[in-house]
Amino acid sequence: MALPRPSRVYAFAAYEVRRALARKKVLAMVGFIALLDTVPYYILATSGTKIIPLQVYPYLWVAGVLAPFALFMQFVAILIAAGAMSEEYESGTAELLLAKPVSRTEFFLGKFLGGFALLALLILLNALLSVAAATLTYGAQAGLDTLPGVVLVEVYSSALFFSVAFMLGELVRRSSLAYILSSALIVASQIIGTYLSIAYELTGNTFYETIHIYLPTTLAGSLPPQYEQSLLPSAASRLFQLILGPAGGTPSEASAAILVGVYLVVASSVALAYFNWADVARRVN
Amino acid sequence: MNASVIEFAGAVKLYGEKRIGPVEFSVRRGEIFGFLGPNGSGKTTCIRMLLGLVRPSAGKVKLGGLDPIRNHTEALTGVGYSPELPNIQTFMTPKEVLALAASEIGLKSEVRAETARVLEEVGIIEYGDTKVGKLSKGMVQRLSVAQALIGSPKTLVLDEPMIGLDPAGTAHLREAFREYARNGGTILMSSHMMTEVEDLCSSIALIHGGKLLFRGTAKEMVSQVLGADEIRVEANGLSPAIVDAVRRVEGVLEVTEGADGLDVKVRHGIEARPTIARLITGAGAELLTIREGERMLEKAYIEALRNGIAKA
Repeated sequence: MALPRPSRVYAFAAYEVRRALARKKVLAMVGFIALLDTVPYYILATSGTKIIPLQVYPYLWVAGVLAPFALFMQFVAILIAAGAMSEEYESGTAELLLAKPVSRTEFFLGKFLGGFALLALLILLNALLSVAAATLTYGAQAGLDTLPGVVLVEVYSSALFFSVAFMLGELVRRSSLAYILSSALIVASQIIGTYLSIAYELTGNTFYETIHIYLPTTLAGSLPPQYEQSLLPSAASRLFQLILGPAGGTPSEASAAILVGVYLVVASSVALAYFNWADVARRVN
Repeated sequence: MNASVIEFAGAVKLYGEKRIGPVEFSVRRGEIFGFLGPNGSGKTTCIRMLLGLVRPSAGKVKLGGLDPIRNHTEALTGVGYSPELPNIQTFMTPKEVLALAASEIGLKSEVRAETARVLEEVGIIEYGDTKVGKLSKGMVQRLSVAQALIGSPKTLVLDEPMIGLDPAGTAHLREAFREYARNGGTILMSSHMMTEVEDLCSSIALIHGGKLLFRGTAKEMVSQVLGADEIRVEANGLSPAIVDAVRRVEGVLEVTEGADGLDVKVRHGIEARPTIARLITGAGAELLTIREGERMLEKAYIEALRNGIAKA
């Protein structure tokens, strides 16, 4: 089998970015990110509350970078990924694109990488807006040299739900259904994780903790804070307690990274295999 | 050397209980091939098998001698496709759609010139920067044909290319296809417009209920299905005696009287027009026109669908 040609993959990736941006829901998410990264800082800074200790002020950018990632950015990931393939079937546009001398793998890779690049840009936007808002409201921020690293870790972690939603979009070929299933996975994983944490706290049984560690929300959500916590001074530790939550075990950085990779490889391989095998749907209504 | 560009060898596609095929025909290089059949007969499925979008359940389909599923990239090189009711992203402009199509086929230089050429060819050059969502149905149809023509492919696969077009658009595309074929291109086109097929296609196939009923030329189909040619006579002063005399002309099978003339069925292959013309003018009537019957393929098509080819 011939290797995918980079020029074709790039063409589809650029197309996917434009297509995703043309959808109003993605643009709405961009607006929501902007609000989420600026309004809380402004409210906290102007309300006169003293809940934030003074020594945490230089690290408040971390809250803006990490807090939305745990859940909100996962929803952004599935919003982009769930429709990447399925919307092409729904609108009937896949047929025209694939009746050309391009391989299905090139199309698949272009769509996957294009969507993922857009998600990475949104994660970067979230980080930059957080730093800007924290600086404007709480003064100069410290530890910013760790920002590129944590953004990269967030991008990598987001691949978990992105690839799962991408796979579901290809398998069910209906964007709304793929979005509902992916969202249900996030919500179920979050709820099950909470119950497992409580069970572990009450019984001390490590079985509950082990299961909790392997849940997708635990893996995707715990890697960036863990990475960042290891680099920042103890003055910022109060922030991490708030972000990571009080209960439940978290996997080591290495095992979380490996398990995110496993989810990514399995989900994208299943999606690619199915895409290569199945007929190209003419138009799914 | 096999000159077949397109080849269906017992191709079958199963959709649950529904079966399309076995379909068996080939299209030679330089042919304009009309693929006929009513809605739901399996034409589009056959086209989609040909383009490697749908996997045949049995049998083989070859495009340029290659399996379009296994060797998709190679088989589709030099092939342009315009689907029935094309779905094109509405946020893009025709120029962007064509630029994407150009990158898909690996066109690197002269993309602008090529884009302008095909837009000109289908007659929508002035709409190059308008969003597809704002184009009329006919314009989108022309854009679909334009993206099929990009890169000057050697083979065109067109699924209902004239659908939604106004008469001027139809005439424009008809001429574009003629020009394409004159330059040695091969066309497979499905259509419900029998006059277009009769006018353009050098050979045809008829599919109905998933089965191939006929493969040959339009004339052969008319002859095989209707068993006769038709002559239209328009004249003033046609008396019953003249009509009777026309009935007795050699090869005439049936004469039907109308308000302004006669419809004469003649055994296929017999040229009866000079004899009938002489007879009418000799009897003192005023002959206005005498010509071959119109829309013969359409009549044959309807008859074939009603009664089947063998029965007809």
